[in-house]
Formats: sequence, C-alpha cells, structure tokens
Amino acid sequence: METKGFLTLEHVGREDIRQILDLARAFAEGRLRDALEGKTVCLAFFEASTRTAVSFELAARRSGAHVISLSEKGSAIAKGESLIDTVVTLDRLGADAIVLRHQAAGAAVLAARHTSAPVINAGDGCGQHPTQALLDLYALCEALGGFEGLQDRRVAIVGDVLHSRVARSVIPGFLQAGMEVALVAPRTLLPPDEGALDLSVLTSVDEALEWGADVLYMLRLQKERMTGARIPSVAEYTRFYGVWRRHLESGALVMHPGPVNRGVEISGDVVLSASSLIPDQVAAGVCVRSAVIALTTGAAQRVAA
Amino acid sequence: MLGDSSPAELLIRQAHVLDPASGLDEIMDVRLSSGRIAEVGEGIRGPRELDAVGLHLFPGFVDVHAHWRTPGREDEEDIQSGSAAAAAGGFTGVVMMPNTDPIVDRPVVVSGLVGRVERESRVRTRVSAALHRGLAGERLTEMRLLKQAGAFCVSDDGLGTASAGVLRNGMLYARSAGLPVILHCEDHTLATGVVHDGVAASLAGIPGSPASAEDAATATALVLAAETGARVHITHVSTALSAALVGFFRDRADVTADTTPHHLTLTEDLASTLDGRYRVNPPLRPEHDRAGLGLALRDRVLDFVATDHAPHASEEKELPMEEAAPGFLGHETAFAALHTDLVLGGRLSLTRLVETMSCAPGRWVGTGGSLAVGALADLTLVDLSEEWTVGRGTLVSRSSNSPYIGRTLKGRVVGTMVGGEPVHDRTGAKFGARA
Repeated sequence: METKGFLTLEHVGREDIRQILDLARAFAEGRLRDALEGKTVCLAFFEASTRTAVSFELAARRSGAHVISLSEKGSAIAKGESLIDTVVTLDRLGADAIVLRHQAAGAAVLAARHTSAPVINAGDGCGQHPTQALLDLYALCEALGGFEGLQDRRVAIVGDVLHSRVARSVIPGFLQAGMEVALVAPRTLLPPDEGALDLSVLTSVDEALEWGADVLYMLRLQKERMTGARIPSVAEYTRFYGVWRRHLESGALVMHPGPVNRGVEISGDVVLSASSLIPDQVAAGVCVRSAVIALTTGAAQRVAA
Repeated sequence: MLGDSSPAELLIRQAHVLDPASGLDEIMDVRLSSGRIAEVGEGIRGPRELDAVGLHLFPGFVDVHAHWRTPGREDEEDIQSGSAAAAAGGFTGVVMMPNTDPIVDRPVVVSGLVGRVERESRVRTRVSAALHRGLAGERLTEMRLLKQAGAFCVSDDGLGTASAGVLRNGMLYARSAGLPVILHCEDHTLATGVVHDGVAASLAGIPGSPASAEDAATATALVLAAETGARVHITHVSTALSAALVGFFRDRADVTADTTPHHLTLTEDLASTLDGRYRVNPPLRPEHDRAGLGLALRDRVLDFVATDHAPHASEEKELPMEEAAPGFLGHETAFAALHTDLVLGGRLSLTRLVETMSCAPGRWVGTGGSLAVGALADLTLVDLSEEWTVGRGTLVSRSSNSPYIGRTLKGRVVGTMVGGEPVHDRTGAKFGARA
C-alpha cells in the first residue's frame, strides 16, 4: 500500500483495508513480534485521550518500537507551541512515525504537509479517526467469520453523526467492506445535507431493527449536547436513540467506540452482554495500530521482504 | 505621497479606451493635464507621450472594502504596502475598514488616520469609522464628530450585524449625521461554523454556517434601510438569495450592494482541502450561489465589486480551517481573476466588469469612475493578453494569503495613475513616457 502516513479512511480501497486487517491479524497472533524494532514512534496528543493514546503506545511498544509521548503536561504542547512547529520538531528529531490527536479537522493533513515522517491520524476534530474504523472492522470480521462475512450486512449508525469523526471514518470503511449503512439520528445531529453521504435516515433504533440491522453502531452523545437546542432531553433521546436489552432479541450486534454513556445511548446491561462487541473493539485496537504503524514506517514491507 | 515629479502634461497614445460612464470603447488618445483628463480623441499630439498600443485604459478601479491593518497590525499590512497593493491591482480609490487596534471609533483616531493616509497612501483613501463603539453593537459612535474628523462612512464590518433594534437606531443616527452605512450582514446565532454548511463541510467534519446566517441578516438590514431611509451599502453579498433580496429592495430603500471576486470565482469545494488558507467570512458558497452572484452582477441586481482585502500573517493562516483567521488578499488579483473567470468565461462583458470595478464604486465614493473630459486622471492601464501565475513573489502586499496562489490568470494591470501621477508601473518601460 503506497501511502505516506495514514490520515483518513476516505478513498482507502477494499483491498487496502483487507491488507491492513490481515497484517493486524499477524500481529495479534504474535507472528510479527519485534517488527517495529528500531523504530521511534512519537505520540503528539493536542487533545486529551486515554484509550487511543494507551492503545497506540501498547501497539508500538509490544512490537519493539521506542515511544515518545508529548501528551503530558509540561510538554511543548502544553506551552502552546503550534501544531506545525511541534510536528516539524518531532520530524527533525528523527521520528519514524508521528501519531497525532488534535481538536481541529484537517490537522493531520496539515501536519503531513510539513513532515517527512509519516503522520498517523489518531483523531482530528470532527474530521477523521481512521484507526478506530479499522479496529471496528477487525472486531466485526472476528465476529462474522472474516472480511467476506461483512458483505451485504446492514449496519445502523446511531446518534450524533454531525459531530462524529468516528462516523466520518466508519461510514466509508463499512461501505468498502460491502455493508449497507443507514443513519439513525434526529435532524439536529445529522449533517445538513445527508444526501452528500447518500445514506438512508431512520428515526429510531426500533426502526433500524425493522430495516434489518445486523449491527447497531452506537455513537457517544457528548455531555454538552445532552441539554440545549439539539435534543429536548436525555429521556427522549434515550427512548428513541438508545439501545436496550429488549433490542438484543433481534440478534443484532452492538458496537460503540467508547467511552460509553451508560443509560444514555446504551443501557448498562448491554455494554458487556453477549451481543456487545465493545470489549473486542478495544482489544482489536492494539494489533490494528501495530499494523498501521508497520505499514506507514515501512516495517511491514521489510518483514514481507 | 502622490508623487512630487508630477508631469504637468501627458499624452496616452493609442490605448483602447473603455469607459462605460462616458460611453467610450475604442482606440483613442487621452491627454492629461494638471491631474485631469484634458482631451480625448484621435490624432492628439503632446510634449510627453506614453505609447499604450495593445493596452486597455479604464477609469481607475475603486475598492470600498479593504483592511490595511493600520493601526495595530502593521506586520500584516500598512498604509504604504496596502496602497501599493491596491495600485498594483489597478485601484485608485479605497475605503479602509475600522476593525483595527485600536478600533476606529473615536474622532482622534479618525483624524490621526486621515492625516497618515494623506501622507502615506498612493491612492485616494477614505476612512470608515465604526458604527458602534468597539464594534460591539451596543452604543453608537459619535458619528457627527467622526464625520468632522474626516470619516467617510461608518461600519461594524468584521463583526456582523448588531441586534435589529440597535441597528435601526444606528441607521437613523447615521442618516442624521449624513454618513453612509456599510453593513456586513451575518446573524451570529446562525453563523456558528467556519465554512459554508454544505456538502464539503459535512464530509470534512468542519463546522458549517448556513446560508441563512447571511440571508436572514440581509433581509433584516434591508427592511430597516427601507424604514429608516438611511443610505446603506451591503458588502460582500455571498448568496444568490441575498442578492435577490437586494434586488427586491432596489426601489424601496437607498441601498447598494457589492460582492467579492472570490465569491464570484471560488466555491465551497475548497473547504474539502481542510486548509486554513481557504477560510473566509462570509464563507465560500456552493456553485449555484457563485453562478447566481455572477448573474446578479451582470443584471445590475448587485452594484459593484469590492475585494474585502484582508491580509493575515502566515501563522494565522497555516492552521487547520477551524483555527485559521478568516480572510483573503484581494486587491492584486481582483481584476485578473474576474477577467479570467467571468469575462473570458463568457459570463460578464468587459464593459460591465469595468462598470462594476470603476464607475459604480467611483460614484459611491464620489470620485473617479470616469474618463470624461474634466474628470480626475485616475486611471488604470491593463494588458488583457498577459498571462501570469500568482505567487508570493508576484504580490506587493506585505502578506501572502491569496486563495489564487498557484493559479494562472489572464489580464494584468500594467500601470495605475492617480491624478495623472503614476502610482504603479509594473514594467517601468511601458510607463517611461517619451519626451
């Protein structure tokens, strides 16, 4: 796969996705131990993150890479150094990959224009979160018997699509995998012209199940949006856009990128139920991110050769 | 700074004179004397001659919307660099906007700025003062004192529209003070994003502002203009609906309106580049708006073009879209971009382009806009056939945030004169008059 960095899942083709997932499986099975030896991976987190940062750090360390993290207090980021200056510094210090989390869409694309090291987008504003989408696909493949098992399956993406970088990455990912995608949200939480996405819009989780959803992909409702003008109340949101135990009778799988709001978009007894892939998603993060680091740094090509 | 070695007389020979104001559109000789047009005709001879064969001669362009960042951000632009950029773009008249630091909202700031402009500007420069103190949309400025200090008009440009009640009083008072009001129409309760709320923003995940943010504010402003009788100019109209609203109020209010070269030539697709260099306010719109604005300009629904020349330092633009400062350079590419896209694209006549860049804004500011005998010799010489690629090196402005960088445009300003004196001479050779 020819790429300098990994910035978005838009325009990533089916075969490229399959290749990354195969590589991730090799990492998961321990076949590529030490594949990243000698590589230096820098984590530049301009926006707070726990699970993604830890996942990337484990992904790099377990395969032998050095990890430098600039997310802590007292770093240049905390001192207000600009995005470009920070990534250029990391680049010139000899980073083999720069993992970037930033609060604004387009930050990863901008950073990549100023570095020779590959930039891996670990989430930028409401833009993209491509490794999240890949780990979701990985977890789903495990549950449905491989990549081909995703073909023609129906996935309903439920919740705040408008403000979700996860949605902007999983939608093209699911489509490339051959899945049918529908959106489930009130119009206040959808892009203004969902026609741009060319997806059908459903009005409740119940309706999604009537549509035949095999997978309910729940998005997190940000706390600041639980009150205010976009939704009338948590109670009403939960009633129509939350997933409850009774929904599981259909056999649908439940996914969520985390962190979950128990009792808002997902009831507590669903999170760890047999239908939930949420723990599998978290687990998949490490091997998938090892694979992405290996591909972008050239380590995967070295192993293959 | 309008030159001290003023040629008393100059004959511009064999230029294609295009002046919609006086109905001229042919190859002629133009004699300048004492800073005015002295004679227009054929076979005129003069002691000093400028060979303008192959060039077009227009009344100088007038830009009613420029940010020269003075006082306060002279690292981005000052009166000298801003007026040099204007002259390089063929502009002979400019109105400076008041959103500087300090804000131009007190008479002492106006008089200081007017004095500096007289000494430092290459082109005829008028100062807009603020409509409300601090541009805050609450307390009126001392408009009568501002006018005495030399303010030409008032505007809260950059910060959008005050509440309707406050704006209504502002219009009434401005009318009493005899000052035109320039309005940037934007409703802040709707304009919560950084690009147009459309397809490109949806896909990119950049917060969008809907067109209604501009349209609702424009409608409010027009209703108030009709009711108050104030002289209102609506600047940088960016949607087809707002243009249509202006058209509806054409005979119901004392209203004029402009749109910008970038809204006439660029679209929201540039949002998908995620590049802060393409952030501007109002945002670039969908193609149907861009096309609609061109039709509105052609059909005289919109009166003229203004550039909203807004220099920014690179550290304010080389950022993700959401964090970048809004604004583009405008003076130096305005004519070339519009000539390339609209005139050569067959959507606007060259005559109408000159009318909207020279005559109509010239009438609005009260000077220029005509090559009639006796008019001020404010003029622009253009080579319509020259192709040039916009680059940092080609720009005179102190900043380089042009959305056209890298684009090849056709048509280039060769020389600009204000009161018969050269203020821009790109090649040197063309402007070296033969004795």
